[in-house]
Amino acid sequence: MSYYFAIVGTQDNPLFEYEFGTSKQGGDGQSRFTEQARHLNQFVLHSSLDIVEEVQWTSGQLYLKVIDKFFNNYISCFMTAGNVKLMLLHQPTAVAAGASTRNSTSVGVNPTSPQTEEAIKNFFTEVYENYVKAIMSPFYKVNMEIQSPVFRQRVAAAGRKYL
Amino acid sequence: MVVYSFYIFDRHTECIYSKSWLPPPTSHDGSAAAAAAAAPPPPTTTTAPHTTASDNNNDAKLIFGTVFSLRNMVRKLGGDDDAFVSFRTAHYKLHYYETASSLRLVMLTDTATPSMRNVLHQIYINLWVEYVVKNPLSPVEHRGGRGVRNELFELGLDQFVRGLM
Amino acid sequence: MASSKASRLGEETRMDKVNAELVVLTYGTIVAQLCKDFDSDYVEVNKQLDKMGYNIGLRLIEDYLAKSNTVRRCANFRETAEMIAKVGFKIFLNITPTITNWTSDGKQFSLVFDENPFADFVELPDDGRAQDELWYSNILCGVLRGALEMVQMQVEAHFISDVLRGNDTTEMRISLIRYIDDELPPEDD
Repeated sequence: MSYYFAIVGTQDNPLFEYEFGTSKQGGDGQSRFTEQARHLNQFVLHSSLDIVEEVQWTSGQLYLKVIDKFFNNYISCFMTAGNVKLMLLHQPTAVAAGASTRNSTSVGVNPTSPQTEEAIKNFFTEVYENYVKAIMSPFYKVNMEIQSPVFRQRVAAAGRKYL
Repeated sequence: MVVYSFYIFDRHTECIYSKSWLPPPTSHDGSAAAAAAAAPPPPTTTTAPHTTASDNNNDAKLIFGTVFSLRNMVRKLGGDDDAFVSFRTAHYKLHYYETASSLRLVMLTDTATPSMRNVLHQIYINLWVEYVVKNPLSPVEHRGGRGVRNELFELGLDQFVRGLM
Repeated sequence: MASSKASRLGEETRMDKVNAELVVLTYGTIVAQLCKDFDSDYVEVNKQLDKMGYNIGLRLIEDYLAKSNTVRRCANFRETAEMIAKVGFKIFLNITPTITNWTSDGKQFSLVFDENPFADFVELPDDGRAQDELWYSNILCGVLRGALEMVQMQVEAHFISDVLRGNDTTEMRISLIRYIDDELPPEDD
């Protein structure tokens, strides 16, 4: 599974992006996106923002689960109370999806299984906590790009831990 | 117990607050003498009823000069930790309290009054620090009593002292 | 002995509590606004923070004296250092910086801050200069300078390292310049 994570501000402006791969099932934490897909990822993810607007009022939860699917790309979203969207695009690798049926529910293979849902929720929750800390820095202003290397490290750590 | 008057001096030796609980002296010579007899004579003048501001100012200066010298003398004899607490004359007793920030509080009472050190300390903690120091609009230095003469402080002080009497 | 007495005094003095985030955000806003107002002239920002601290110190010392009930002056500068670290910082910020690196003449020491309640969440601006020029918590230097001046000690205080800058410790250096004499009443004309 490859992941593309982005934080989108209140003006639908990107604040932060980070790309990584699964660390479960012996994954090396590297993403397997092709160069072409990389450009597409941003587009796919941002195009899901319309769906976010549709579903954000329905559940009353911050975690909106998988809200959109574009071919093999699944988009999960976590919405902060301040209308900032944490978006995760996850793309199961074709090999894994085909080969291992016995692990079909495990994280990193089946993008819609409850386990994956839970893992992504944990990931979002941890990133959200760190996001709050990052924006608590007095030098951060609303909708400013998050450049903090510490935050990037923490996102990476959360990715390794849960996905 | 009777409290006659109260003074505050800052670290620049200036009198930044004074208050008297004496009945206002009359301008008549005869009754003035009576008032002077009833009221304690100020430390150095003995006869003149203090009517004018400049007189009052002069009193403050004299009081400060006295307590400052006494304090220095006490320290010289008793070591730096020794503190001058009070002195008594035939007519009144003067109580003195100095904080580490060189704020000096002086109170004049009748002679029977026990030590007022604690009272002065309370005035410092509960009135001075709370109402004057912590008032952000009041200046740090109080040239001519600026900022000290605020309602809460004056009211609190008056109530506190009247509560003692 | 004096040291344990100071610790006890610091522990026992009851102070009203305030939410830590409120402090972080309030102080952070001040620093960020200063950086903006002075166009990221960090040297100037340091100066302004010090000045603000000085004005705070002039008042804070009275609160310190009232709350801690200290009646006696410190006998020497070492005792002063103990009282600053174990009583002053304890009651106002609930931290106890470590006193270290005394010079042999007993006139200079360092306070090492294991934790700094002002600096939670803070990351210095990433403009390549803030890391070298801004002393984020410089207000503390001013506070000490102001407070000690009121109790007749002229000191000089400055930070020499800060974890926010990537140093291992946050350390403030304090030097006693002189004891200020009592002011004498003006001579009568």
